[in-house]
Amino acid sequence: MSAHAPTAVSAQARALRHRKSAEHLNTQQLQALRKAIGAMQAISDDRGYAHWAGLHGLPLPMYCQHGSRLFLPWHRAYLYFFELAMRDQVADSVFAWWDWTSPGSHSSGIPAAYSVRRVGSQQNPLFRAQVPPVARQNGQPRQTSRAPGAPADLPTAADVQAVLALPDFLDFQSQLENIHNAVHVWVGGTMGEIPWAAYDPIFYAHHTMIDRLWRLWQIRHPNPHMADDLLHQALPPFPMTVEQTLDIKALGYDYAATTAHAVVT
Amino acid sequence: MAVRLQLPRPPQSPDEFSRADLQFRGIDHSGPSYEARVFLDNPDAGRSTPRTEDAGYAGSFYVFGHGGCFGELGHCDVKEAPKGVYDKRLSHPLTPQFKTLIVTEALKNLMRRSRRKAFEVTVVAVVPDNIASRAPRRDPMSFESLSLLVDQDPAAAGVPPPPDTGGR
Repeated sequence: MSAHAPTAVSAQARALRHRKSAEHLNTQQLQALRKAIGAMQAISDDRGYAHWAGLHGLPLPMYCQHGSRLFLPWHRAYLYFFELAMRDQVADSVFAWWDWTSPGSHSSGIPAAYSVRRVGSQQNPLFRAQVPPVARQNGQPRQTSRAPGAPADLPTAADVQAVLALPDFLDFQSQLENIHNAVHVWVGGTMGEIPWAAYDPIFYAHHTMIDRLWRLWQIRHPNPHMADDLLHQALPPFPMTVEQTLDIKALGYDYAATTAHAVVT
Repeated sequence: MAVRLQLPRPPQSPDEFSRADLQFRGIDHSGPSYEARVFLDNPDAGRSTPRTEDAGYAGSFYVFGHGGCFGELGHCDVKEAPKGVYDKRLSHPLTPQFKTLIVTEALKNLMRRSRRKAFEVTVVAVVPDNIASRAPRRDPMSFESLSLLVDQDPAAAGVPPPPDTGGR
């Protein structure tokens, strides 16, 4: 065999990974997610959590895109590369989405997977994270915090359905971003302002929900008009264009429609 | 923390339009995050006004704020000159934003209640007190203009529906 022949790709590497609801993860899935985020939080170089959180906000430059036509594509690329970094630590870890429209969220707020302080004798890495000194400006504390509003004030399923019905991509994106902003303000604390929001682990569950809603919109509106200059726009710092974010299966993932578990007794 | 503006009543009757948008241009987002609550024909609306139809509440837009400037002098100055043809940089992160608030039902309800030739839009900024940073809590709401855009209902305009394609 030539030294340059492509190596065989394992079946696991070829399989789509399915992101699931944070409220319905089984023990193994939640453990993998916690282990991966915890491992990233323990690394201070460019494989680590602080590096990836800092790409969104502080330290400068702040790459994130808000209030622009790149909002959804940029955050899809961000989650994609962050998730790959996460899977470098724990191969079967996958992002989970926080469905803030669910009955559970409207009665209890943030899902238990992210809101319990400790798991056994360990701190829950999904509950909070360190904010590094380079990002601690304007009095930002060393650790992330939350100050959530009343659960009933979270966006509703009707709010989401109204947005999913909009046929124009830019119109849909703008209205979905408004719901997204509302949830950031609702969580409060570190999540409440752009420069620090991505240091809170709930950020990724929130944005996985946003990305999932874009996926659901894409299924409902399969051939939207998108201008060529938008499709060919790069999404720095990621080596990806808007067009390359459109097909999530080409990025190796999809969203589970439902999740259910049964335990063999 | 409120802005009041008058807009003319649209010429259509409430049954003749399918969508009404309030378009806010030039929104500053350099300060703290906030909720902008929009009320129609309620000039006394404030932070404690209930978000109900009776109070004229039409919806909210949310500004996800930058919480201050973290560069040196001039870092947060947004250049107003248009970019050159060969300038492929992305827009400045603090470029003022454009937001659309869909107010279809609220406007229809108002027009059914009132026959006045103009209506008042009151925008109340509510800065949450749950933010972790110590960004200045001054009144953050600033925008350049507000427009009302009303879409004609195709059926009311006499436009025939598209032919039935049988789901193909």
